[in-house]
Amino acid sequence: MGVARERSAGRVVLEARGITKRFGTVVANDHIDLTVRAGELHAVLGENGAGKTTLMRILFGELQPDEGEIYLDGQRVRFRSPRDALRHGIGMVHQERKLIPAHTALENILLGHPKTGVILNLREAEREVSALCERYGFRVPLHTKVWQLSEGEKQIVEILKELYHGARILILDEPTSVLSPPEIVKLLESLTRMAKEDLAVIPFITHKLPVVLEHCDRVTILRRGRVVAEMETRHATEQTLAAAMVGREVVLQLERVQVPLGDPIVRVQDLWVRDDRGLFAVQGLSFEIRAGEILGIAGVAGNGQEPLAEALAGLRPVERGTITLDSIDITHAPVLERWRRGLGYIPTERREVGSIPTFSLVDNVLLNYHFESEFSRWGILASGQARELTERILREYSVVAAGPNAPARSLSGGNLQKVILGRVLSRKPRFLIACLPTHGLDVGAAEFVQRKLLEAKQSGTAVLLISEDLDEILALSDRIAAIYEGQFTGIVPASEANKELVGELMAGLRRERV
Amino acid sequence: MRAVIGGYLIRIERRADLRWWHTTLASVLAIVFSLFLVGFAFLRVGADPLEVYSEIVRYAFLSEFGLPQTINRATFVLLAAFALIVPLRAGLWNIGMPGQIYAATLAAFGVAYAFGAKRSVNVQLPGELIIPLMLLAALAASAVYAAIAGFLRGRFQVNEIVTTMMLNWAMLWIVAHMIREGGPFMGRTAEGEGFTLPTSLRLPQILGVPLTVYIAVALAVVLTWFLAKTTLGYRIRTYGESPRAAEYAGINATRISTLVFALGGLLAGLAGYHYFAAVPGVFKIPKNYADFGDFSFYGLITGLIARNNPIAAIPVAVLFGGVSGGARFMQGKLRLAFGIDYALLGVLMIMMVAFQALAHYSVRVERQAAVPRPQLELERGESRVESPRH
Amino acid sequence: MSSLLVISLAAAAVFAIAALGELLEQRAGILNVGLEGVMLLSGTFGFIAAKTSGSYLQGFTVAILTGALVGLLHGFFSITLGSNQVVNGMAIWILGFGLTTYIGYPYTGPLGLKPFPTVAGLPTFFLVALGLAIAIWFLLFKTHLGLKLRSVGENPSVAEASGISVTGLRYLAAILAGMLVGLGGAVYSLVYNPVWNYNYLQGWGFIALALVFFSLWNPFLVVVGAVFFGVLWQLSLYPELLFPNIFSRYIWRAMPFVITIIVFIVLSTRWFRLRWGATKPEALGLAYQREN
Repeated sequence: MGVARERSAGRVVLEARGITKRFGTVVANDHIDLTVRAGELHAVLGENGAGKTTLMRILFGELQPDEGEIYLDGQRVRFRSPRDALRHGIGMVHQERKLIPAHTALENILLGHPKTGVILNLREAEREVSALCERYGFRVPLHTKVWQLSEGEKQIVEILKELYHGARILILDEPTSVLSPPEIVKLLESLTRMAKEDLAVIPFITHKLPVVLEHCDRVTILRRGRVVAEMETRHATEQTLAAAMVGREVVLQLERVQVPLGDPIVRVQDLWVRDDRGLFAVQGLSFEIRAGEILGIAGVAGNGQEPLAEALAGLRPVERGTITLDSIDITHAPVLERWRRGLGYIPTERREVGSIPTFSLVDNVLLNYHFESEFSRWGILASGQARELTERILREYSVVAAGPNAPARSLSGGNLQKVILGRVLSRKPRFLIACLPTHGLDVGAAEFVQRKLLEAKQSGTAVLLISEDLDEILALSDRIAAIYEGQFTGIVPASEANKELVGELMAGLRRERV
Repeated sequence: MRAVIGGYLIRIERRADLRWWHTTLASVLAIVFSLFLVGFAFLRVGADPLEVYSEIVRYAFLSEFGLPQTINRATFVLLAAFALIVPLRAGLWNIGMPGQIYAATLAAFGVAYAFGAKRSVNVQLPGELIIPLMLLAALAASAVYAAIAGFLRGRFQVNEIVTTMMLNWAMLWIVAHMIREGGPFMGRTAEGEGFTLPTSLRLPQILGVPLTVYIAVALAVVLTWFLAKTTLGYRIRTYGESPRAAEYAGINATRISTLVFALGGLLAGLAGYHYFAAVPGVFKIPKNYADFGDFSFYGLITGLIARNNPIAAIPVAVLFGGVSGGARFMQGKLRLAFGIDYALLGVLMIMMVAFQALAHYSVRVERQAAVPRPQLELERGESRVESPRH
Repeated sequence: MSSLLVISLAAAAVFAIAALGELLEQRAGILNVGLEGVMLLSGTFGFIAAKTSGSYLQGFTVAILTGALVGLLHGFFSITLGSNQVVNGMAIWILGFGLTTYIGYPYTGPLGLKPFPTVAGLPTFFLVALGLAIAIWFLLFKTHLGLKLRSVGENPSVAEASGISVTGLRYLAAILAGMLVGLGGAVYSLVYNPVWNYNYLQGWGFIALALVFFSLWNPFLVVVGAVFFGVLWQLSLYPELLFPNIFSRYIWRAMPFVITIIVFIVLSTRWFRLRWGATKPEALGLAYQREN
């Protein structure tokens, strides 16, 4: 239910009329109209592929529309570049951070500002930026290097940057995707305050966070490139919004499979792992996973999940603590030994780590098989065997590809992930580490991957699932461990877990006995 | 980038799909262009470049003296090219061929020295035993010397370009120490060259060229097969394409780096053994041994022009072996300044880089029918605020 | 002993000036491994200009211009064409090595000019190097241009999104760097060792490159390292100053190169590597494609 707004909406600051954009035969934006007023939080909702990104890029000057016009304060404008848009007062905060980690927050905010002189006057800039912080209620340490800030703080730095450069209209791309639930609330309060100051804010979001709607005034819903609804939030309910976004009733529930748990396969004790900066990213974690169990790690990105996965996979040294697999200590074992003992690892980065884009699919499958005697006889690759295995994987996982010799880069993200999954699962691992396995995949591919994970669990694999998708973790895991700053704030059985509880654990607001 | 000039639309775009023949054509053009540019040097002394080049070709490939020289030089260049190619497949730069060549040579002559070869050219020694030992020592020495750089790179991420270069200069001076005044390998004449290898320790020749020539050609095939079909070759290629994916696949960076450099060093070492211990007319470490270190950089350019393909490197090596030798010959004949073959090397390298880069772009020219609003459209950020719609 | 120090400082000037140029470039994300080639080209052309005209000024001017041109060339390949910067650097090195061997040959021999004046007994160019180090430090850390330059080297797409012309700034860095490296090459061939011989640079360009890595991209550490190598080099030439009659003089000549490698190893402890990773410009050596 939307909150009734007391102030009347201000004048129209941004109006898009009939925006149309085609990419080949695909119509990404189909005569879209958007009206944004000063002092308004106007959300644009839509699923992946609804046309949000394209519209955003057009508004921000990165793309030119094929048809349609944009009016700023009643004047027709045409932005040739993002710089141009910014000059007219439209700022954009991207989903992925566009900051320079090695520089301080203040340096990032200052970067590229046209009015600065030759000499860097940090003191005056600091005064101005602090004034902005005061005005909008932001609190951010300006002289800290950005890599040391939390995700929420980084986002504020980016917002400050746009404001400092004179933006009056802010477009936000998925602003809540990397925030924990409490951080989301804080952000939205800040945005509301900005709206009070007569700025216009346009968050572009997917359907996952209806919480946002509590704070937004209006919402425009896109589906398949068209505007299907535009309304004030006080007239909307979650159901009407969801229905408008998807066009039908959608219930996507994977039945959690009950599997009798076996013996503990993986035991981690007091694990300490350093990150690339030399700081401890994992601080004394202990847990065990049984056969047939999925342990889900819930946490905001950057709290130690990746270093944990890398340490388990043998890609990062362990400072202190032990890891045992089937009672064998593998804490310092080389990568190959771990795979031979039944470890399987699906890395986050499909194209940089999990595969080699220029290699054929066969050569990619060999990444996890080159050391097996049946694929490497007397030092020579058994290419026939490799090819057979690849074909089998392509078949079993319904991969859309030109053939086993197609280069990996010709595959879409979903299909590539299927190949990686098939490659790892075909080894029938005892212990599977899956890192963000459905990241960036469309609904169909994501569901396929999730099903395969459940199948693995059913066949007795111990699974460690790391995901930023809280719904996914809640749906698939038997137990959920919330991680915050390298430590578990709580390990909760699925039956007792819900979004609020896990959200608070993830944000470090609460600790349970682990 | 697009430009409209005189009624034609010219479009220069980065190619989405680079084919093998694009890059091959680029290599060929680089060679042709370089020869053309170096031709100006001949022009300056009043000679006709075409005449000069035909004489070079005649000397290098058709004359009785020139042809074996070309073959020997080509073998040297080819082996040096292999020394670049193998590590480069793993994404690592081995520019330490000179140092590796010197190390191998010292080791080979060291073995000969140990058996008393310095005494006289006619001393009778069991060649069947000692020659293989010399060869083995040569290959081992250069492999180890190169492996230092590989190990440092793998284990400590120490930049291999700098280390191999440092190793080059270090070994250069060690050779000087060995063959100049008072050094153990000093030749009879004490004029800063090494002792001559006795006849009993000279590698046999087949058809007028040393055995090493045939080994080199065979190696081209062996290396190609090795890289494509063996597990180790797979691991090398994987590491070269993506060190991170290789780490994920359990491939040990230190081991691969060290191994790949050892192989590269071994191949360079063979080049050293070939030229100093196997080529007739040499059979010693000459006073101008450094020239040969420099000459091995022709192997660098050969490897790059052949796009890292050992078999494609053969014709390129033959071409460069011949032309560089012929150019030296003409340099003497035309009284040119020293170093015409060096100049060619320099020009070749820059031309190769230029053409390979250009191969990534396609140029399309279209005739423009009456364009309503001709404009030069470079992507800059200008906006046009037009009058408001009524 | 003091004359050893003075000559060492003269050598240090060469290392420092060239390394400072490369440092500037690397801070903007451009990697040029062909410093040796740039120095050979600028040093040779500068030598020829000075010898034929009899004027140091002409020599230095030609050298700096040559350096700028070569820097521009490297920049064109690396920035606009986006090809592999290591390959480009190799090409510049071989180009320099090959071309100067041929072009410089007729000028083999001493420069024949009056020795370059010193300042208070110290080599002029060492003082120049010190000044340059301060200037570059100031530029990089105290000016807006410097902030932009560093951003371009850390994350060009962020810089571009902030309204900075990545291409323009990188070209500026490449040309400036070329000028400095060219100056370094000229200092060698006109002042430090004014005798031309083919391949006279003896690997100094690569040592300068190593210096940039060692220095963690800090201009002052560059100067410190340069002095270290300057002293090392003099010792290798005149070992009898400190170590009479140990090893032949040829082994001594090999020593600076071995020491460079040892320094690399010593500096590869985890502590150093962490800091090195942290200060390294993140986009170093990576081509940048403007999204459009």
